Amino acid sequence: MDKPEFYQKLAEILDVEEVKPEDALKSFDVWDSLAILSVLAMADAKYGVSIKAEEIRSVVSAEDLASLVEAKQK
Amino acid sequence: MRFTFRGKRISGNLVVVPENERSFVDEMKNFNFPEARSLKLKEVMGYDKRRIVKSGVCVSDLAVFGLRHLFEAGLIRPDEVDALLLVTQTPDHFMPATSSIIQGRLGLKQDMLCLDINQACAGYVIGLMQAFMLLEQESVRKVVLINADVLSRKASARDRNIYPLIGDAAAIAIVERDVEDSIIHASLKADGSRAQALTIPAGGLRLPSTPETAVLEDVGDNNLRAKDHLFMDGSTIFNFVQTEVPQLIEGLLAWAEISIGTVNYFLCHQPNRFMVQKLADKMKIPYAKMPSNVVEHFGNNGSATIPTVMAFNLRERLLHERLLVCLSGYGGGLVWAAMLLKLGKLSFNNIIEYK
Repeated sequence: MDKPEFYQKLAEILDVEEVKPEDALKSFDVWDSLAILSVLAMADAKYGVSIKAEEIRSVVSAEDLASLVEAKQK
Repeated sequence: MRFTFRGKRISGNLVVVPENERSFVDEMKNFNFPEARSLKLKEVMGYDKRRIVKSGVCVSDLAVFGLRHLFEAGLIRPDEVDALLLVTQTPDHFMPATSSIIQGRLGLKQDMLCLDINQACAGYVIGLMQAFMLLEQESVRKVVLINADVLSRKASARDRNIYPLIGDAAAIAIVERDVEDSIIHASLKADGSRAQALTIPAGGLRLPSTPETAVLEDVGDNNLRAKDHLFMDGSTIFNFVQTEVPQLIEGLLAWAEISIGTVNYFLCHQPNRFMVQKLADKMKIPYAKMPSNVVEHFGNNGSATIPTVMAFNLRERLLHERLLVCLSGYGGGLVWAAMLLKLGKLSFNNIIEYK
């Protein structure tokens, strides 16, 4: 997985310039159900994996989210 | 599970929508969300206008209104109705069947079959399959298939996950034999182990409605919903649709030996614009071949969305031409279904308003 590309896609969903790996997802103003749906759509379309909303909600940082998607790919 | 049918056709399509139109922008103040995020939701999902019934209006009201319109316009005679199939999840009563109520209110003949079918968003394809099977009988010449729901009455006005997308409607199809003996392919799958992903928890006999089941509960994300209300597990449904439906449609086309390019239109159920477009992306189908604009004009009206796509986007073409179309419905059950057939030269293809 191209991690910088993943963070860039995440930044687009979160309406910010940049997302750093250590950023807590809950620290973003727009981290809501629409953002979560956008993340799972991105994971499906770009990485070919199905993630549940609960799984996304259970991770803390952007890096955790990238790891979750990466783990599902295997 | 695969099915084939021969020599059957849809000969007319009427969609009845309530006159009462709601706008997402007017209603978003009901939700406890920042305005900018609600507008983002509108942009992504395609929420805008939708049609819902005023209080007290039932499925039989919409259906009787539509059938009276067809009788008065001379598009079908009452005595030609040999079977009345009603696909609904929001019946007037537990008993009797709402199809019987419709028959009685219209004074239709006794020599006919009335049947309610409890199916959700796959219900148009499933209703057509039932109609085709009935038409194997000599005594059945015309089947009236009604796909109707008033789910807005079961949606919490304080639940942003469901309320802004729900529409009400009744779609009426006339199904009969076709002089052209063309083959119709259909494919269907069901997974009841995921039934709870789309449910109205209370109001049946497992959990009867009580004052307690009517209490609004905070279900997270600032949404309020009671057990009497419609619940949708949005992420499970999204993953279900993106995983299962492309496989089903691609399998159907391969079996029928038809390429995506040969199909004129993919007329799919309309949960919201976002999900339909993601489905098109996944199957590499151009958006022009897979309309996704029903939710923004009418709301998601359940098993009536496919007829609504037909009447709203292809009104003239389906009156004058016969097109090769792939229909696909997916949702509650969970059930997912697709059908490949020649559609067109309809004798009517309209949307009318229930007043």
